[in-house]
Amino acid sequence: MSQAAPAGAQKADVIGDMWCGYRGEDWYYPRIGGTAGLSSKEFVTSQREAPRDLAGVLDESSQTLFLTELWRGLAMTLKVFFEPKVTINYPFEKTTISPRFRGEHALRRYPTGEERCIACKLCEAICPAQAITIETEEREDGSRRTTRYDIDMTKCIYCGFCQEACPVDAIVEGPNFEYTTESHEELLYDKQKLLANGDRWEVEIANNLRSESQYR
Amino acid sequence: MYEYLGILIYFFIALALSLLLLGLPFVVSTRKADPEKISAYECGFDPFDDARGRFDIQFYLVAILFIIFDLEVAFLFPWALTLNKIGFFGFWSMMLFLLILTIGFVYEWRKGALDWS
Amino acid sequence: MNILIFSIVLKILALTVPLILSIAFLVLAERKVLASMQRRKGPNVVGIYGIFQPIADGLKLIVKEPVLPSSANLVIFLFAPVLTFLLSQVAWASIPFGEGIVLADIHVGLLYVFAISSLGVYGIITAGWSSNSKYAFLGSCRSAAQMVSYEVSIGLILITVCICAGSLNLTEVVLAQTQIWYCIPLFPLLVMFFISCLAETNRAPFDLPEAEAELVAGYNVEYSAMGFALFFLGEYANMIVMSSLCCIFFLGGWLPPFDFAIFYWIPGIFWFSLKVVFFLFAFIWVRAAFPRYRYDQLMRLGWKVLLPLSLAWVIYVAGVLLCFDWLA
Repeated sequence: MSQAAPAGAQKADVIGDMWCGYRGEDWYYPRIGGTAGLSSKEFVTSQREAPRDLAGVLDESSQTLFLTELWRGLAMTLKVFFEPKVTINYPFEKTTISPRFRGEHALRRYPTGEERCIACKLCEAICPAQAITIETEEREDGSRRTTRYDIDMTKCIYCGFCQEACPVDAIVEGPNFEYTTESHEELLYDKQKLLANGDRWEVEIANNLRSESQYR
Repeated sequence: MYEYLGILIYFFIALALSLLLLGLPFVVSTRKADPEKISAYECGFDPFDDARGRFDIQFYLVAILFIIFDLEVAFLFPWALTLNKIGFFGFWSMMLFLLILTIGFVYEWRKGALDWS
Repeated sequence: MNILIFSIVLKILALTVPLILSIAFLVLAERKVLASMQRRKGPNVVGIYGIFQPIADGLKLIVKEPVLPSSANLVIFLFAPVLTFLLSQVAWASIPFGEGIVLADIHVGLLYVFAISSLGVYGIITAGWSSNSKYAFLGSCRSAAQMVSYEVSIGLILITVCICAGSLNLTEVVLAQTQIWYCIPLFPLLVMFFISCLAETNRAPFDLPEAEAELVAGYNVEYSAMGFALFFLGEYANMIVMSSLCCIFFLGGWLPPFDFAIFYWIPGIFWFSLKVVFFLFAFIWVRAAFPRYRYDQLMRLGWKVLLPLSLAWVIYVAGVLLCFDWLA
């Protein structure tokens, strides 16, 4: 061919273009002019090595021509189509949850019925979302207790720092995750609600804490 | 002609059906429009400016190319139907026409009119 | 005359009502098949195996509030979904379900279907324009460019079929395949036609007009309630139209797979529906298998691959048939 080299290269490009497009895997192909400052040729070679020998070229061309990759993709999905399903019918079936699961908050009590919280305010201090508000007072017996323990559940990010910070395992995040409400106000938990949660979930929470005790 | 009457009636029935479907929610549903709700959707922002601004010339180019090739297709239909009557003469006449079109096609290909960047 | 019109109306109703039902259940089928291909169960709460899900969805859409955007051109805005739905319905007029089972057995059936599917672009572009929203406008531009690009190759493929069949009447196209279905000699064309159908109906992997991730929903972003539902129904009705076209042009319509008497005991309409269902399954199958194309790839596939290839097939088929004197 008597053509100058660049013109020849251009021609090869055009012909290659036509057949490459058939494959649908052409993100390496040059049309993204100027991506990351690469010329089109450099862009091609940086992504994928084109076969040089005859066997390789034939192999690739025939794969392109017969759309083998597309058929393989279709075969894959068809195979999965007949495989057993893994869906859990949620409200009726549930998966097991980890003992470390961080769900709805609860304030626990000692077996005597005395509330655990000593109003140290560590949880309030560590809470990254500033969702916890605590007010304290000295009780008649001289111990310090909370008069107010509010958690804004709509601020809470369920990081679990409060239960990590708590020295007496009073505030914990229990295994319950089904506490949707219809209004925002219902999600502003007060002490009463949290203690009630603690009473309700004490068995599960205690089990979870026991099983995790050696790792803490 | 009676076949086309069928198509005409079908047209009106489909029109009535779709208007009925479209109108139904206006009757059945509760409508509470406020300025925020009925403003054009732009990911929560107020629309910055009118949507009918400039757009890529490539869309226009595609439309022009489409007209050329669709006309070609329109020419080919009668040719394809009468191919057994017009024989090789008709065949080669159309090949000439297609050749001219193909030259144009190759030209625009090389010019990059088909590249979308 | 009155009786004639009455009988036509009855025929049309017998065509439209099952069609709308089949669209509804195609949506369910799509959700089920996609779910299965992702090892999920899909909708299974409303009715047994979720069989009433599409009806529940439809009722939900009816009681939704129709929002009319303040900046929209309301008449065009409301007209666009009507047009889309209308066209997807009217296309059925000339599609033969069996020998003689066709509403309008016109001589130019193929051209008619081609024309109706070309008009589909108007519904989309008017929707995008009248919404006066940037996403909708960009989506409709993309969609229009995509549909016209692939229409060219669809036209050329139809011409090849028409050369083989020697007629534009869809019934005769099917009957011309009594000897051999066109999918055997023209298999590459079937693949190309199917790919073009995917692009023409804006289905995955060519669903760029409604690319959820970038264009939020493309041209129908401003539509709610039944306006949206009409686009939706139109899209799925178009899928069924395109599937039956694939079946008529390449899989021999209502003809049984082998030309034996025993296969003719099963009515042709059964074979027809079987083939249509196969193509519809393929539509969903492709959606489950392939990722979405990028827009420049899509345009290149249309203009640089399908167009030259289909043009070459027209010349090749015409030449071969003429040389060996095989023309119908």
